[in-house]
Amino acid sequence: MAFGRCGADPRVPRFGRGRSDELGRTFLITLRGLTKRYGDKTAVDGLSLEVAAGKVTGFLGPNGAGKSTTMRMIVGLDRPTAGEALVGGRRYAGLPRPLREVGALLDAGFVHPGRSARAHLLAMARSNGIDRARVDEVIGLVGLEAVVGKRVGSYSLGMRQRLGIAGALLGDPPVLMFDEPVNGLDPDGVLWVRGLMRGLAAEGRTVFVSSHLMSEMQLTADRLVVIGRGRLLADAPVAEVIARGSGNAVRVRTPGAADLAARLTAVGAEVHRPADDELEVKGVPVDRVGLIAYEAGVPVLELRAVEASLEEAYMELTGASVEYGVGR
Amino acid sequence: MRSGGRTGALAAEWTKLWSIRSTWWGLACSVPVMALMSLIMAQDIVTDNTDPALADRPGVVSVSGTGTAGGSVDMVQFVILALAALMITGEYATGSIRATLQWVPPRARMLSAKAAVAVAVMFPVGVVLALVGTASAYPVLGKWGRLDAGDVVHDALMTGVYLAVMSAFVLGVAAMLRSTAATITATFLFLMVLPVTLANSRSDLMKDIADGLPSAAGRHLLAGDGPYPAAAALAILAVWTAAALWGGVTVLRHRDA
Repeated sequence: MAFGRCGADPRVPRFGRGRSDELGRTFLITLRGLTKRYGDKTAVDGLSLEVAAGKVTGFLGPNGAGKSTTMRMIVGLDRPTAGEALVGGRRYAGLPRPLREVGALLDAGFVHPGRSARAHLLAMARSNGIDRARVDEVIGLVGLEAVVGKRVGSYSLGMRQRLGIAGALLGDPPVLMFDEPVNGLDPDGVLWVRGLMRGLAAEGRTVFVSSHLMSEMQLTADRLVVIGRGRLLADAPVAEVIARGSGNAVRVRTPGAADLAARLTAVGAEVHRPADDELEVKGVPVDRVGLIAYEAGVPVLELRAVEASLEEAYMELTGASVEYGVGR
Repeated sequence: MRSGGRTGALAAEWTKLWSIRSTWWGLACSVPVMALMSLIMAQDIVTDNTDPALADRPGVVSVSGTGTAGGSVDMVQFVILALAALMITGEYATGSIRATLQWVPPRARMLSAKAAVAVAVMFPVGVVLALVGTASAYPVLGKWGRLDAGDVVHDALMTGVYLAVMSAFVLGVAAMLRSTAATITATFLFLMVLPVTLANSRSDLMKDIADGLPSAAGRHLLAGDGPYPAAAALAILAVWTAAALWGGVTVLRHRDA
């Protein structure tokens, strides 16, 4: 799928003031000590990070962690209490035609319900000097042709999400941000959004997407930024976040649990004994556990490696920072 | 390809204004309301002139003046100003102000684009409304009405100017208050209740203050009978509007959207 207009190569950022590092990566979203306080409550707390081009970066965190506030500050809707959010090295408010630099779907509800989708997109295009033809193009891209003349108030949440995505794509921008884009979409729509994000990143664009659906992020994102209570908890490739979680373990069922536990602890493993004849071993790979048991002459009835999911790694990361938890 | 920036902001506001039904309904309603108000005021003058018990009769009045069509604007302005207020408060109510500010992030550019569109639309609307009021009052007044082409043109243009400038004023108030109800209530108190209260006071100072309010400036602009010339009336309207817009931009810059 190609999302750009002919002639526009998004791999060459049109506002090339983003930072490039020694590996040739370009960073178009830069947060420096970004902080937002509401009274004595801190929503975003000194957040510093860079989001790389050509990748889908998942933005994760529990409800109230500050994801939406961060995204609103990036597009200049909320004023940071301290620090700054830069897009292509500039503040969003300083961009002459912001929609051509940053396409953002922050909330599908940010549309006047009394206006038709076409009028909404047309006004949007005019505000940034975008060609009228592009409006019909993005309407086709998101599949809203049949309802584009109807008032947005009559749309389902899924249709509004599609309209929001159309708006984000309208300016053919090198940077795209989506806040919970699959909310309200049917499985077909979820699959479509996944393909869309991958495609946009493959074209060299920066795709920054928040979600609370871990399984979805595991499939879509290359890299994850995890925040909790407004603070950065992790900023790493997806595989690394999963590996860092303590969920990777080895399960052993053996009558000689006590003996084996002592030997494993001696080589530096972290050992739990959930049942009399069962051990959960962390920090030692499964083959080594098997060898140690063999050398000790301990009979092994069952031995298996337990792979953590992103969900588990995430729960562990954010466990201490859940704002509105129900208690686990 | 058209440019963004200021031109883009204007084009977007223009498109947005005409793509919601409330604009069309509001403007359509203002016409019969104006006709009806002028009719009632004209009938009042006829009644006063034919009442033998009344000593202080209005006599022959200008059909387009403050006695009839011009005076009806005092009420009909709230239909027009509500439409202007909705250009902002409607966006706050629906959340679409956040879309608007993503498209046009400089707060002053966004608000001035709205104000410019409101002025461009409400000036001709004001002219048309004044003519509608005049046409409606004329047959009722009969021999008590004086129809002068020069007066009609002058009064219609001044009504247009007054409604256009006050629409921009209300946009500034709306940017500060954000809520439709609060904006319309504040506007009503400021343009209607406060001036009447001050004018009825026995203190000369209060009456002078009343003359400095936009509603009095608007009436003096139309009638040309104020304690100051028409240019001063225009300046008073401009100062109030500039102050309201400045307040609106200041609030927009400091508060989160």
